Amino acid sequence: MRPHRIPPQILRLILLTLAIVGVYSVARYFLTPASFGRYGWYRAAALGEIAAYPPDYAGKAACAQCHKDKAEQIAKGPHKALSCESCHGPGMAHVGNPDVKLVKPAAPLCLRCHEANPSRPEWLKQVTLADHYGENCLECHVPHQPNEAP
Amino acid sequence: MKSPPTPAHVQPLNRRRWLAVLGSSLAGLFSLVPSRRAEGGGRERQKEAAMPDGYDPTRHRWLMALDINRCIGCALCVAACKTENKVPPEPTYFRTWIERYIIRKPGPGSGELRGSTIVDSPNGGRDGFPPSAIPRDQILRSFFVPKLCNLCEQSPCTQACPVGATFQAPDGVVLVDPHYCIGCGFCIQSCPYGCRFLNPNTRTAEKCTLCYHRITRGLKPACVEVCPGGARIFGDAMHPLPDDPLSEFVAKNKVQTLKPYLGTGPRVLYAGMDKEVR
Repeated sequence: MRPHRIPPQILRLILLTLAIVGVYSVARYFLTPASFGRYGWYRAAALGEIAAYPPDYAGKAACAQCHKDKAEQIAKGPHKALSCESCHGPGMAHVGNPDVKLVKPAAPLCLRCHEANPSRPEWLKQVTLADHYGENCLECHVPHQPNEAP
Repeated sequence: MKSPPTPAHVQPLNRRRWLAVLGSSLAGLFSLVPSRRAEGGGRERQKEAAMPDGYDPTRHRWLMALDINRCIGCALCVAACKTENKVPPEPTYFRTWIERYIIRKPGPGSGELRGSTIVDSPNGGRDGFPPSAIPRDQILRSFFVPKLCNLCEQSPCTQACPVGATFQAPDGVVLVDPHYCIGCGFCIQSCPYGCRFLNPNTRTAEKCTLCYHRITRGLKPACVEVCPGGARIFGDAMHPLPDDPLSEFVAKNKVQTLKPYLGTGPRVLYAGMDKEVR
């Protein structure tokens, strides 16, 4: 027996290991998405895919482009921090097509914020409906300028 | 005794035959790979979805802060989030929600300064908060706490994911890759803030994305957009604008994070938080 010959059982083990590693590497090359690992241990293409969802809410700036008068009116009163879409609902469909009308909110929506509740902070104006003048808020209050009478 | 003769079509599995079967199955497997790439796996072959307006995720670091003193519990944010992100309408599926904390007055002679804490969140607050069953004269303190993904620095959810489907993007937002998620739910269990759920329609994990499709377009997240009280402050920590509300907020307020002792490194900041908040 020659001194440096690899025993056949070891040789088989080496070949088998190489084969497994080889199969793994080839499979990994083909199955790993192209963008995997660009930023980290994930598919970077997912960022673009998630960012591609269409938004529903257009933002106050988009509303003010057409409804300048309402934007100026609301900026004068205590409701100045409110977004148009807080009360009128998502407006992206309306921005794309003005025929799509947004909801004209009714009185119960006022109570969603202003109904007396011990959990609400004290700086917020709150009413107990039973002790207040009536249920139709809009008879006395202008939502775009709540301190003014209609 | 003679063994029954082997039928002609069943060859005995000797070494030669075994090697042949192994070789042909390997060859078959490799011929499958390119065909898989051509059809279903061809997702990656399609042009990669581009970011809106050349948005570069490495040049931003988004963050939200919450001012508990400004939250009035209208939960318009919860409703807006559900609409914007097509979150299933049923309760228990929320990307953001509002919790109402009620701290009772302590019992007389109890030696306590603050009584027991009651937390509720009827339908996540989506339909507003009806008056609590606890009478006003028994309440020591009460307030609302908006909850959302805490954008952890060492997020347990991304570490728990076995397939690399959830990750923290370079801009700080923790996202779920809906094509990679296998719906195992490990991330849902690992989130100590309960911010994740399994979408019953897609069977994948979902969570707050800070409205990634909006912030990459220069819009505010839907919850921030509709918040009437200014309780939600959103901004970019890497490139703050001159009149950035977030920079102003952190300069003016004493801020804390939720469950800092867990070592998750939550980045979402809270101002005006009582010790009872978890």
